[in-house]
Amino acid sequence: MPALSGELVVFGCASFLALAFALLMVVQKTPVRSVLSLIVTFFGLSVLAILLAAPFIAALQIFVYAGAILVLFLFVIMLLNLKEETADKDDRPVQRTLGLLVALALGGLLAGATLRAPVPPRGPLTGPRIPMPDEIPALGRLLFSDYLFAFEVLSLLLLVAAVGALLLSKRRFE
Amino acid sequence: MKQLWLIPALPLAGFLLNGLVALVASSMRAEKESGADHPGVPLPYAQRLFHGVVGVGSVGLAAVLSFAALVPYALGSMQVPEGLAPIVQKVYTWMAAGDYTIDVAFRLDTLSALMLSFVTLVGTLIHVYSVGYMQKEEGYGRYFSYLNLFMFAMLTLVLADSLPLLFVGWEGVGLCSYLLIGYYYDKDFAVAAGKKAFIANRVGDFGMVLGIFGVFALFGTADFSFVELAKRQVLAGNAPLGVYAVCLLLFLGACGKSAQGPLYVWLPDAMAGPTPVSALIHAATMVTAGVYLIARCSALFVLAPDALTLVAWIGAGTAIFAATIGLAQNDIKKVLAYSTVSQLGYMFLACGVGAFGAGMFHVFTHSFFKACLFLGSGSVIHAMHHEQDMRKMGGLAGRIPQTFRTMLVATLAIAGIVPLAGFFSKDMILGSAAASGHWVLYLVGLFTAGLTAFYMFRLVSMTFFGAPRGHAEHAHESPATMTVPLWILAAFSVVAGAVGIPAVLGGTDAVSRFLEPSVTHPPIGEMAHGLEIGLMLLSLGVAVTGLAWAWRWYGRAAGPVEAVSPQAHAFYEKTGALGRLVANRWNVDEGIEALVLSPFRKIGTFLWRGFDALFIDGIANASAFLVELLGDLLRFFTTGHVRNYALAFTLGFAALVAYVWMS
Amino acid sequence: MTGALPGVAPMAVPPGAFLVVATLLFAIGLAGALLKRNALSIFLSIELMLNAVNLLFLTYARMRGDLAGQMIVFFVIAVAAAEAAVGLAIFVALFRTHRTVDVDKIALLKW
Repeated sequence: MPALSGELVVFGCASFLALAFALLMVVQKTPVRSVLSLIVTFFGLSVLAILLAAPFIAALQIFVYAGAILVLFLFVIMLLNLKEETADKDDRPVQRTLGLLVALALGGLLAGATLRAPVPPRGPLTGPRIPMPDEIPALGRLLFSDYLFAFEVLSLLLLVAAVGALLLSKRRFE
Repeated sequence: MKQLWLIPALPLAGFLLNGLVALVASSMRAEKESGADHPGVPLPYAQRLFHGVVGVGSVGLAAVLSFAALVPYALGSMQVPEGLAPIVQKVYTWMAAGDYTIDVAFRLDTLSALMLSFVTLVGTLIHVYSVGYMQKEEGYGRYFSYLNLFMFAMLTLVLADSLPLLFVGWEGVGLCSYLLIGYYYDKDFAVAAGKKAFIANRVGDFGMVLGIFGVFALFGTADFSFVELAKRQVLAGNAPLGVYAVCLLLFLGACGKSAQGPLYVWLPDAMAGPTPVSALIHAATMVTAGVYLIARCSALFVLAPDALTLVAWIGAGTAIFAATIGLAQNDIKKVLAYSTVSQLGYMFLACGVGAFGAGMFHVFTHSFFKACLFLGSGSVIHAMHHEQDMRKMGGLAGRIPQTFRTMLVATLAIAGIVPLAGFFSKDMILGSAAASGHWVLYLVGLFTAGLTAFYMFRLVSMTFFGAPRGHAEHAHESPATMTVPLWILAAFSVVAGAVGIPAVLGGTDAVSRFLEPSVTHPPIGEMAHGLEIGLMLLSLGVAVTGLAWAWRWYGRAAGPVEAVSPQAHAFYEKTGALGRLVANRWNVDEGIEALVLSPFRKIGTFLWRGFDALFIDGIANASAFLVELLGDLLRFFTTGHVRNYALAFTLGFAALVAYVWMS
Repeated sequence: MTGALPGVAPMAVPPGAFLVVATLLFAIGLAGALLKRNALSIFLSIELMLNAVNLLFLTYARMRGDLAGQMIVFFVIAVAAAEAAVGLAIFVALFRTHRTVDVDKIALLKW
């Protein structure tokens, strides 16, 4: 049992939050409620990110994920005016039971496999060492030097996604 | 003469020219007239002239070149005790693989010189004859082009310096035989006869090819230098083991080509072709290729004495067998066909007892009188308006005198009456058989000689003597293009024997000495002079007896068509079942059908219906059926629901993770 | 396996705990993807799975002491955004023709 410290407490709370609301999200019948549960989950995850010496990522999680993507989800749900999921005649019992079993099994397997996996190899580091005091500038430097090409391509990807989304949701091609 | 290759090349050129012109002309003619053939319509004079000139000219020119080459060589060879060295001219290297080389090379030595002389001479005469005989045919051009192709192949065969090149000619003559027998392609029996000839030849060729391989294996080369190697081994007295097999295989090839043993069946049927074809191919040239092969490889055969004895026995057996069938045939050409088979048997008999020179001498003389007989029969058929049944002939002697006289001369030659050619060659064969101690073979040969004389004179009698039984009133003599070759051939039938007059009668036995450098023989003992003369008189007596008997029965035959000669008919009745068997050609064709062909057909049908259709097709169909079944079962996986698909690949992923965990 | 590499500052919380949490979140997301009928809910579950993987990456980055792991997460987030945009556009278009986003009712490509 590791020593009780602040970090451990924070970890415990955050992970509990994340897991609980994740479960809630899956269980909820209304899509709106699912989205909101997921937002809370993301909050928990971003706290965990901070614990892992990734403050930038944590911020990104809130801004982009919880703030933009899930809000987009909400917009679409409301646009489509989706009601609660009708739980009448679920004509696929095999799918449900099998799905649940497989998910549980896979979860167990993955957990076991990850835990049994060896320590990450001692190869040469490909980026600056963490934790460090000023890692956001370091991240920026990394982004614009080693990962410049990926960055540019990413921006192109976002452009394509935007155009694509526009095209797909048009009413008529004019 | 430096260009031996020209000799086969000239007829080849003739073939190409004739063939091209014939094709172009017939397609132009087909455009002008619409539809139906006019089988009886002759070609325009200009085209006939072209074909005739090219056809006869190419072969005639080849003949001139041949004589220009071989006469000096022959004369020179006679003056030198061991003969002149062979002239070998290489044209190009055909194949070279590792240690083996096969060249296209032509060879002129005493043996090929002998063959060349009569092949070109008789060939040219028959081409001339064909100009007259075939002039009403629409396929005139096609006929001459095939005939030229045949001459090309035969000359390649004769002049070849190696077994592979000889085999090229061998196959070529077989092909042309098929093409020419089936010349009347609208007649089913002609087509069938052509096929029969080709297939029977093929059976022999199987042996021939294996024999060539064997020669390669034994001597490392298949050009005729191997004969020298074999000769040396003969002198050294040792025989390598495979020689027996090779000899038997080569002899199988010779049997196929020369219609010996059970492979003779194609030759009588081959009479379905035009008569000049029968004369050229099936009397004078192609069928002698087998004897030529044996003589060429004489050194090899001498190394395997038992194989040589087998050759002799098969030759003798075929000779007497065919002669018996010839006794009862009524079609004029069929008699000559069986006669050819019989005479070929004599040639193999000669080679078999080691007298290769005698065998080749008989080839030489036989080509003249047999060609004369065939061409004469063609003249008779022409005069009788295509009637070939001798029972419907008779009394033609006065009406077609030239044909009659030439055929009479040729008949006397084949019967072996002195001083005609056949006497000397046949006697040399019988004498060698006796000298080497094969008295049974001698007696068989002697008896067959008697049969030969009988059936040949029967042919002459039924055709020319007695009262006319058919439409003899309309018979007329043939044109000069047909009669002149007949006279020339008859003349040769008389004098050709001069080259082989034996020493005992004051001659020089030139032919054997001439061939000495090219063939090897086992030592044949000398006979006492008295015995030799006695045997000659005996064979002469037998021949005269045969002739006389035939004259007695058929000479003044006045009976009706069904029983031309009452004595013959009575004799036939007396022999009962045996007579009927002989008249039905000993039922050989039926026998082959039952023993060989029918089982093969049954096996083929079984393999086709049972094995191929059921089994192999079944496997193919079953695999298709299985795939279809599998597809029908598997399609239920495409439910259309995304969740099912997600489940499916989640399951797969779980399995992978489990596997990784296990390992 | 828990324990950071030598030369890296040790973690107060054992890294194995992070890994377990991440794996559980992944499993929950997977269950949601397989069990929900509403297309948008399925999509949400997929987003949850992506985030679970992000957490894994961050954990390993911290264990190795390597900043590059966080780069990956950056890109994953950006790509997820793009994907969400396009995916939602597709759902909107789908809804226009079928008037429903229930995946069970949109099973046209069946046998």
